Amino acid sequence: MPTELARLRNFCIIAHIDHGKSTLADRLLDLTHAVSERNMRAQYLDKMDLERERGITIKAQAVRLAHTADGVDYVLNLIDTPGHVDFTYEVSRAMAACEGAVLLVDAVQGIEAQTLANLYLALEADLTIIPVINKIDLPAAQPERVAREIEQVVGIPAEDMLRVSAKTGEGVPALLEAIVRRVPPPTGDPDGPTRALIFDSLYDSYRGVIAYVRMVDGSVRKGDRVRMVAAAGVSEAEEVGVFAPEAVATQGLASGEVGYLIPGLKNVAQAKVGDTVTIAGQPSVEPLPGYREPRPMVYAGLYPIEGDDFPDLRDALDRLRLNDAALVYEPETSLALGFGFRCGFLGLLHMEIVRERLEREFDLELITTAPNVAYRVTVTTGATVTVSNPSELPDPGMIERIEEPYVDAMILCPSDHIGAVMELCQSRRGTLQTMEYLSEERVELRYQLPLAEIIFDFFDQLKSRTRGYASLDYEPSGYRAADLVKVDVLLQGEPIDAFSAIVHKDKAYGYGRAMATKLKKLIPRQLYEVPIQATIGSRVIARETITARRKDVLAKCYGGDITRKRKLLERQKEGKKRMKQIGRVEVPQEAFVAALRTDDGDAGR
Amino acid sequence: MSSTLVPVAAGPLVDRSLFGVYLHVPFCQTRCHYCDFVTYTGMEALRRPYAAALAAEAELAVAALGDAGRPTVTSVFVGGGTPTLLPPADLARVLQRLRGLLDHAPAVEVTVEANPETVDRALADGLVAAGVTRVSLGAQSFDDRVLAALGRPHDAERVGLAAATLRAAAAGRPLDLNLDLIFGCPGEDAASWERSLEAAVAIGPEHLSAYALTIEPATKFGRMVAAGRMAEPDEDVLADRYERACAVLAAAGYAHYEVSNWARGRRAADGFPAHASLHNRTYWRRGAYLGLGAGAHEFVPEPDGFGPRRWNVPGVPEYLAAVRAGRRPTLGQEALDGEQARFEALALRLRTLDGLDGEEAGALGVDATGPAATELRSAGLLAPGPALRLTERGMFLHGEVVSRLAP
Repeated sequence: MPTELARLRNFCIIAHIDHGKSTLADRLLDLTHAVSERNMRAQYLDKMDLERERGITIKAQAVRLAHTADGVDYVLNLIDTPGHVDFTYEVSRAMAACEGAVLLVDAVQGIEAQTLANLYLALEADLTIIPVINKIDLPAAQPERVAREIEQVVGIPAEDMLRVSAKTGEGVPALLEAIVRRVPPPTGDPDGPTRALIFDSLYDSYRGVIAYVRMVDGSVRKGDRVRMVAAAGVSEAEEVGVFAPEAVATQGLASGEVGYLIPGLKNVAQAKVGDTVTIAGQPSVEPLPGYREPRPMVYAGLYPIEGDDFPDLRDALDRLRLNDAALVYEPETSLALGFGFRCGFLGLLHMEIVRERLEREFDLELITTAPNVAYRVTVTTGATVTVSNPSELPDPGMIERIEEPYVDAMILCPSDHIGAVMELCQSRRGTLQTMEYLSEERVELRYQLPLAEIIFDFFDQLKSRTRGYASLDYEPSGYRAADLVKVDVLLQGEPIDAFSAIVHKDKAYGYGRAMATKLKKLIPRQLYEVPIQATIGSRVIARETITARRKDVLAKCYGGDITRKRKLLERQKEGKKRMKQIGRVEVPQEAFVAALRTDDGDAGR
Repeated sequence: MSSTLVPVAAGPLVDRSLFGVYLHVPFCQTRCHYCDFVTYTGMEALRRPYAAALAAEAELAVAALGDAGRPTVTSVFVGGGTPTLLPPADLARVLQRLRGLLDHAPAVEVTVEANPETVDRALADGLVAAGVTRVSLGAQSFDDRVLAALGRPHDAERVGLAAATLRAAAAGRPLDLNLDLIFGCPGEDAASWERSLEAAVAIGPEHLSAYALTIEPATKFGRMVAAGRMAEPDEDVLADRYERACAVLAAAGYAHYEVSNWARGRRAADGFPAHASLHNRTYWRRGAYLGLGAGAHEFVPEPDGFGPRRWNVPGVPEYLAAVRAGRRPTLGQEALDGEQARFEALALRLRTLDGLDGEEAGALGVDATGPAATELRSAGLLAPGPALRLTERGMFLHGEVVSRLAP
């Protein structure tokens, strides 16, 4: 039986990582008796292995809670949102499914950049904000200070802010009441032509694609033929239902409700986030606003260590994509690495998650090139080409202009670290836009920075220079021309395409020097001397030499040694199989992987 | 053991013209800092029973040869530890027992390892009387500082004295001397190594062995390196030392006939100097050899020539108990398949200057004129074809050559 709109409340929780969103969700599940005591466990809603390990949520969940207030039975739909900067679009669509947002802020840490970023998204989506200060049980909690910070940003009086402890449960019943009283019920036409917003989708190997939907107008019933507007596909609704918190099938979903739809599809690309679901054959409708194709920000080359595994990598990526509409990839070849794929990700976290899943779930050993951005290159003929693989940059002689993607970054940091942060941003070619004091102790800095300068180790540097207190959020803000050059790395005169990079000309020397030094350390000595050079075009900007190896093991070999010696030699021979041949240079796979790693911070950027 | 008398395998997998007997004497006065051999300080009371047990084990070993026939012994090697801690008469008794059990070739080579400080006239006479034809002296270095750092119980001068004593005792009968040298030691520099080489040459041994110091974990050096109190020898320094050894020994008329071994004498048809060690050649040509004593290794291949290799328990009490119970004191055994046997043969045969001819290489699955071999020749590591032979430069990089050639 559909719930009337008046008794529905759709809301999400906006919070920084570690500010207690999952624990609060647990308390809400407790209070509304959504989960029996026996089945309850901590961070109940975090389903995927990866999430539990990293302590962050990446997939939205929609949970139906029952709450009675003043004798009326209400249905509260808690829509969980991804917290990471890589997934802003998903966050915005989840918010479009809500009318209210609980703004959860840690009473010790205060507002963080991510909180602010998502808060602005919520304000843009016209959600009613309920500010809640969490962790008041901690001895270091400063709820007054934090309330004032929030007031500064949101304009809600500090006295109206709720104070809770998700851990102890204190204040949470009052929060439930506030949600019922302050969050408006959803609006929509229960009898009009059906429109539903897909705010998330995933692929389940047993059931196929599962779409999380917020019904706007009309309803969807099991058996209906549904049509996805942007994906332009028609299929049969195998099942509809709600999460309570486990999936429960229902006859249908009506206007205002939040739940799931199994549209009988095999590929999440057919049920895109932000798309509108309608019923086939009904009068045509305006699709719901805000739909956008996923836009990769960061690229990297993924190669199997064993060339023979290429088909397995391809299959694995195909399977991953079933569940990840934002992942894009295209086959590419590298002289150094063989056959692989150039993959596009929403950001570094997305890339890391994909890589880990490929290695773990599909048992693949991979080499990943350093992440890079896509450049827009205008050549002398006037044509513009997008370069997402640095080694494909046209000859300098042909290039008229190179443009790189920029971001608007928002950094929150303690006021006594402003100098360090500004120095960091300046060293990354940033320009200061605004600086605002949220309170005496916290400052919000807005910078425009090239995305290429962020994807490397900017976040780690930011954290270490502010003793962990700074936070960062950013969003794309177009392309700008810059003085960029391609640095190549040559081994014994042969360029290794996997190490080519596009860098700002002021940083070219540093990068070349760092790569040459790193390779000299990682590549074992060969039978011949091996010169390593970093070049821009034909100009050598850095050089190292690996001297020739002069000896093996020079030990004696008598009767008792033979077995041991044989095993050592067998290992030496096995080692040869794991070599990548670059020209005449034998590079062990491990050295290659190590040379391409970006988390050791010494590639001179 | 198989009952066929005619061996199936011929060619480079096994050299059936050789049959050695190795005897291990696991007793030392002190333990040197680099030593991870099977040897024990103390145990004086067990030394004489041990010698008797060696003779008893010899009987068991020969009985186990069974139908494979009675081979003719071409070499005997008594190693350790310090074999010369056994009374010469006891040693003589064991060697005598061996002669009673197996025919020995007329020119059988009988080697005993000796520590310079244990060699006095009485011992030297005893060795000669026992039929020893070669004495291997562990000199290691002629720099007293280095000897102290190595934990050796003798000084440089002692080596020359021991050599002279042995020569005097031999008095015209054939007695070859070998000196062992180690380079890359703590406290050694280029000048010190040069002096050691010259001093060794001056003593005029018929044979010299020189090899790089290897740090094994279960040794004093191993523990020092692990604790960061000692640096591992530098690769380029070791290469320098080896290069100097090659130069000095060549100039002094020694033939570099194996990666770690040099010898004098007229060349045989296969290029080997007359004073090369026959027993060691047995190892490198995969000839059969018995291994007697605690921790000793043995190789008596089946007709197919692959293996097995077996080895004895390292502990002296267990050794004695097993032999007394009439059992061979085997700790472990390794069966080899064809691929492993061929790989071994390739690795071992390439250590010596005769290497492998084209046919022998083919029998091991290696193309002596293929791309790998050709590249190694143009890199100067293999001699011009068609045989597979290391150049002197190739001896530096034996492991690299083997891994590239092996199928």
